[in-house]
Amino acid sequence: MNIIEIKNVQKTLGNNLILNGINLTIKKGEIIAMVGPSGSGKSTLLRCLNRLINIDQGSILFYNQNITEIPPIELRRSITLVHQDSTMLPGSVYDNIVYGPKLQGKNDDSIVRQSLKEAGLSEEFSTKTASKLSGGEKKRVALARALALRPQVLLLDEPSAGIDPKKVQTIEKTIIDFSQKRQLTVLWVTHDIEQAKRVSTRIANIKNGKINYTDQAITFQWEGAF
Amino acid sequence: MGGSILSGIPYSWQEGLVILTSMFSLLVLILVLSIIKKIGIGKEFALAILKGGTQLVLIALFLTFLFNYELWYVLIWLLLITMVVIGGYTSAKRAHSMPKAYTITTPAILIGSTVVLIVLALSRAMPLQPQFIIPLAGMAFGNSMTICSLALDRLIREIQLNKPAIETMLSLGASSKQAFEEFEKLSVTASLIPTIDRLKTLGIIFIPGAMAGLLIAGTEPLVAAEYQIIVYLMIVGGGIITSLSVIYLTKKKIFTSTEQLADWIQDEI
Repeated sequence: MNIIEIKNVQKTLGNNLILNGINLTIKKGEIIAMVGPSGSGKSTLLRCLNRLINIDQGSILFYNQNITEIPPIELRRSITLVHQDSTMLPGSVYDNIVYGPKLQGKNDDSIVRQSLKEAGLSEEFSTKTASKLSGGEKKRVALARALALRPQVLLLDEPSAGIDPKKVQTIEKTIIDFSQKRQLTVLWVTHDIEQAKRVSTRIANIKNGKINYTDQAITFQWEGAF
Repeated sequence: MGGSILSGIPYSWQEGLVILTSMFSLLVLILVLSIIKKIGIGKEFALAILKGGTQLVLIALFLTFLFNYELWYVLIWLLLITMVVIGGYTSAKRAHSMPKAYTITTPAILIGSTVVLIVLALSRAMPLQPQFIIPLAGMAFGNSMTICSLALDRLIREIQLNKPAIETMLSLGASSKQAFEEFEKLSVTASLIPTIDRLKTLGIIFIPGAMAGLLIAGTEPLVAAEYQIIVYLMIVGGGIITSLSVIYLTKKKIFTSTEQLADWIQDEI
């Protein structure tokens, strides 16, 4: 079953055509990696899917419904974006994780506990000041914060960028574990082809604002992908 | 014109002109010091004083005409509208690259100033005569403009600085109103800090403009102080209304109807 269908999407930022007719279908429960060179349009596509920006042409369907017909706030709770910079909101780790549920009137400790656990963090961690965490810890809190919304699709923009290489695989394992457990659909943007092969079932190569080709992770040929 | 409030100045305008000319010795002193010390502000200062002085003389001539004009209440509207429009355009320059910023600064200044001027008129603190309306409206518009600029400048800077946090909040399902709240409070407070600080030091560090003017014009100190407090209530009241109005209107320019940051602010960062 297709959860997301991206059809001929175009997006211009300033005078630059960033997305030039993107077509991609994502199945429910699938972990799909998106690889491509810097400036190829990976992050812009995620922002379009999260409706932080609108597309100029084409359409994006979520369960066969055009996302423009879904109220943006509702959409973002279902298709949640974890930004690359993992910006922490003021306050503690707890405050960060409970932020989304609280907006929906769900001020429930159990959501925080479960999200912390799924992101590989201990409960004691929740009292720490979010802004003082290390880069890797912030990445995990950002994941837990997104998971607390109980989304159906998780958009990950370079979730392991800038962290200690030794810890990268731990983060990867954490994400794969909770995705499988929750039957979560994940669109994982990375510039690391080896990571893409490790974490996903299918890889899409984006280049010059277009999907160059897609293939199963095992057989994906990366010559010409960058 | 004439009237009691001018009785405190012990000379005519002709005598005043002689005194003013003698005061220009200070300008000569500044020019000499500027040349000797190579400060380089002499020319700029001389031009500024010439420009400012000319503007003051022109407004004085206009006021002399207006105070004696039978249909002053018609002409005064033109003056008040000009004040608001100039204030709106001046304040809009603080809006960075926001498109058509004057469409929010002008109404904000108008709303803040008009509310307090109506209260002043209804409470009889501002008799409906040109010699009261013009200076008080000038103070109301001028202060509203300053507060509008401060609020706008601070708000846009905060939004620029916190764009990642705002987009994080939006991505977590916050509405633009919820993502904006914190910066709204910060900007309103920041815009009023100079006014509140001036209020705290009233009469200690300096005697404020309106009171100083009334004292020079021969008003009793207690009455002058009372009037100064009225003026400050007007400034603070009008300032808060202007600040809240400009922030409210700016929100509609910063966010789109689909809970996104507007293109101009995305492009600016």
